[in-house]
Amino acid sequence: MTQEYVNDIADFISRYVTHMLGAGVHTSRVVRNSKRIGEALGTEVRIHTSQKTATLTVCEKGGSTMSTRVLDIPGFPISFEWNADLSALSWAAYDNDMSLEAIQHKFDELISKPKINPWFVLFMVGLANASFCRLFGGGVWAMLIVFTSTLVGFFTRQHLTRRGVNHYIVFIVSAFVASLCASSALSLGIESAEIALATSVLYLVPGVPLINGVIDITDGHIQIGISRLVNALMLIVCIAIGMSGTLMLVKDSLL
Amino acid sequence: MIAVDILADGFFAAIAAMGFGAISDPPLRAFKYIAVLAAVGHAARYCLMTFLGVDIASASLVAAFIIGTGSVWFGRKVFCPMTVLYIPALLPMVPGTYAYKTVFSLIMFLQNISSPTQGSEYLQSMMFNGAVAFSVIFMLAVGATLPVFLLRERANSMTRGSKYL
Repeated sequence: MTQEYVNDIADFISRYVTHMLGAGVHTSRVVRNSKRIGEALGTEVRIHTSQKTATLTVCEKGGSTMSTRVLDIPGFPISFEWNADLSALSWAAYDNDMSLEAIQHKFDELISKPKINPWFVLFMVGLANASFCRLFGGGVWAMLIVFTSTLVGFFTRQHLTRRGVNHYIVFIVSAFVASLCASSALSLGIESAEIALATSVLYLVPGVPLINGVIDITDGHIQIGISRLVNALMLIVCIAIGMSGTLMLVKDSLL
Repeated sequence: MIAVDILADGFFAAIAAMGFGAISDPPLRAFKYIAVLAAVGHAARYCLMTFLGVDIASASLVAAFIIGTGSVWFGRKVFCPMTVLYIPALLPMVPGTYAYKTVFSLIMFLQNISSPTQGSEYLQSMMFNGAVAFSVIFMLAVGATLPVFLLRERANSMTRGSKYL
């Protein structure tokens, strides 16, 4: 095995690792899948991960040729589709003896698949938050108000994210906008107005990083698990700040 | 009437799971299974809490275990890793209100710091909400991961031989 070939493998696995970690896949799966691809190409892979960087060493099996990379992890939007497709790619590489070129080609194809239409997502999130309001005991009018305020809030979030605004500011502004719209329920005198106001910001709660964080901790990747939980906690603080802005405008007390 | 309540709970939980899941771009083939898992899990938690008086953390653990076990079964059908199915299905159970009320109580505590009675009330409320939020999130993730520990081989080869590649 030549040094160039090992370098090429390391370059590809670097891209694989950064795309998986950036898209919010839990750590032990990323490590397992990368090792599997390395194994399929006749190398051993060892990875050290943290929140924003990762270190990767690819070593020829039974030989001494090796290649090491320190990687920056970019912040892709969370994508379960990449999670499913790239995991399947690692098994395909392992089972079908794919060459490095074939794997790379397939990888490029998979990550350039189109995403779900943002307008469809917007509509679904509105419906989801409205039914969430129902689960907390809100009536039909409260559900309608939550639906509209979620549409406005999530549209703000999509727009600001596309402009590349800092994501803490995005969360504060969207929480403020959504809860301000929902506070109309108070002035309209709807009976479950309090519930509408409380649920209007729940579409922002970072559920995926919270669950991923605990999964990482139970898998023994405690450092990155705690990093994920702290990250999610910061976003929750932002939601509370945005919403307390509304509550100070329309009510005397926060709780 | 009780049956209608349970069905309604499952139905709205399914819509909530699909909608919140849609933010994280799941494969289209996974949506119907996410809906089924979320409905069964949330309805199970509702029954445990309303009819048996189980506390929210233990009920979440049981519901998450049901969702996790179901995702082993369904994941093999649509060639999706378990997390792709169970994380969206758990989202309606994530204790969002408890989480941000923790931060509110902190803000209110700081504003009433000079009044010892009110200040300590808010501090108590912060501890209460924070403890509930943390334990529920912890129980959700652990409950859904338990099947992975029990069925390691099967759980780790979900996407093997995928037809959708």
